[in-house]
Amino acid sequence: MLKRFSLWLDDKTHLAMAILIPSMLLLLAFAYLPALYSLRFSFLKYNIKMPHDIRFIGFENYLYILKDPVFQQSVLRVGYFMVVATLAVLGMSMLFAQILNQEFRFRGFLRAAIIIPWAIPPVVNGHLWKWIFNGEYGAFNGFLYQFGLIEEYQFWLADPLVALNIAVFIFVWRYVPFVTILFLGVLQSISPQLYEAATVDGAGAVRRFLHITLGSMRRISVIAVVLTLIAAFSVFDGIYALMEFDAATKTPMIYNYQMTFEMGRFGRGSAMAYLVGIFLFALTFFYIRMSLKEDRP
Amino acid sequence: MKQRMSFRFLLGILIAFMLIWTLAPLMWIFISSISPRTELYSKPPHWIPHNPTLQAYDKVLISGEGFRGGGGISAATLFRTGIINSLIISISTTLLVMFFAPLLGYAFSRLDFPGKNLFFLAIIGIIALPGWPVLIGLFSQFSMLGLLDTKTGLILLSFTFRLPFETWFMKGYFESVPQEVEDAARIDGCTHVQTLFRISLQMVRPGLIAVTIISFLHTWNMFAAPLVLTYTLKAKPLTVTMTEFIGQYFVHWDLMSAATILAIIPPVLIVVLFQKYLIRGLSAGAIK
Repeated sequence: MLKRFSLWLDDKTHLAMAILIPSMLLLLAFAYLPALYSLRFSFLKYNIKMPHDIRFIGFENYLYILKDPVFQQSVLRVGYFMVVATLAVLGMSMLFAQILNQEFRFRGFLRAAIIIPWAIPPVVNGHLWKWIFNGEYGAFNGFLYQFGLIEEYQFWLADPLVALNIAVFIFVWRYVPFVTILFLGVLQSISPQLYEAATVDGAGAVRRFLHITLGSMRRISVIAVVLTLIAAFSVFDGIYALMEFDAATKTPMIYNYQMTFEMGRFGRGSAMAYLVGIFLFALTFFYIRMSLKEDRP
Repeated sequence: MKQRMSFRFLLGILIAFMLIWTLAPLMWIFISSISPRTELYSKPPHWIPHNPTLQAYDKVLISGEGFRGGGGISAATLFRTGIINSLIISISTTLLVMFFAPLLGYAFSRLDFPGKNLFFLAIIGIIALPGWPVLIGLFSQFSMLGLLDTKTGLILLSFTFRLPFETWFMKGYFESVPQEVEDAARIDGCTHVQTLFRISLQMVRPGLIAVTIISFLHTWNMFAAPLVLTYTLKAKPLTVTMTEFIGQYFVHWDLMSAATILAIIPPVLIVVLFQKYLIRGLSAGAIK
């Protein structure tokens, strides 16, 4: 019996099916099926607190969300967030990768250390900075006070614009390590002979940097921009920990959670999830296609 | 020579900046966790505590004194249960991914079978699936299946969403190691399954280590999904219990700092011990 089974399994197709079917079932059950559920919800009047009043209402939820001023503002807010965060992440990572590409004594230690902000839970990242920027006892206030830069402790997070920028900052702090590692990988793969040849040809340091270094980083930079945009758009944990549902930092992700699970409006929440999701899907699709294209020899 | 000196000087300043940028916030949390509350709340705070103490850790892990949350739950119960739940969920997910990802990677790189591309797209497609639509649907589905507020539900969920990334990674890794040894084993009369376990899996071990640590990190760090899908200490991971702690209107920042340190110990250990694999896993995951 076992012998026959192992013979049956020796066929390439049979083996592949034996490997694939269990995991495919899981993926269908816990990823695709739930996505279809919420697609159905998005066309229903469905408030979880009123389970007896569920009915089909067509595109009404979608129209409601598109006209909702809170949603419109959250989109603008996340737009600002994405632009500032992506520029900052790109600039800082470029600098950090250049530094780590130099020879110095504690390079191994520094390279390990800079990964830590990326590796710790994003929600902890939010708590950590909430404490540092705390208005009553925070270290940021203490630092400025110590050096005489402020006379009184300030409630930084109470100012909406400052709070939004602090949210951007903590995202940047978390994401720079990841992009730095990506950049560093490419920098270290550039052959030193390329620089030597350029030097022999009379190219100065600036031209070498512009042509060789930046030239070989073009592709990875596009990937890094797309990944940072996706991550900045999807950021939830850090903002939730920092400000919860405060209007100052309410991005579509935060609003979506609040609408669905705080207010119980599953219909509208699902419609928002799909509106926002289409945008995210397009970005991710672009990234996967770029990666897959390179994947084929 | 002069230019060389000023370059080293500039580099030194930049390195110092990087160190402070990265480690100063973490250092401050550590100092907060060993400072007595009076020193922490003085103005400006004592940057180096005069009387360092481990009281906050004691309260968070053992005695639970000084804080009663909703329903009379002590800080120690909140954090200790969170840590245990987080460990169970992360380790189980990681073990599942460790088993399935290499098998799938093998199937997609070494085997030919009908519908291969379609299967691969179905798996990769999950990476592009946005979070909220899935999570909202999952909430309903879990409540029907009785999986709401269970660790099993969270394990199934995190496994489902880690698998596509790690399968993709393992497929690439298999393609980067030569196939000749496996072919030779086939000729010597090994079946596919024997070749897979005795030879192929041995050759991709570094890739497997990367998959393992990255899966663990992601599951340990997970927050939004358990926030939605759990509501009691039966299943809540540390990320959620500590957020609840801060949700109370008065926050004990010394306890919070101790909890933060505990929450970042596993990720920091992984970074320190497995730096090489982690870096390879990260860049391969993005560039291929």
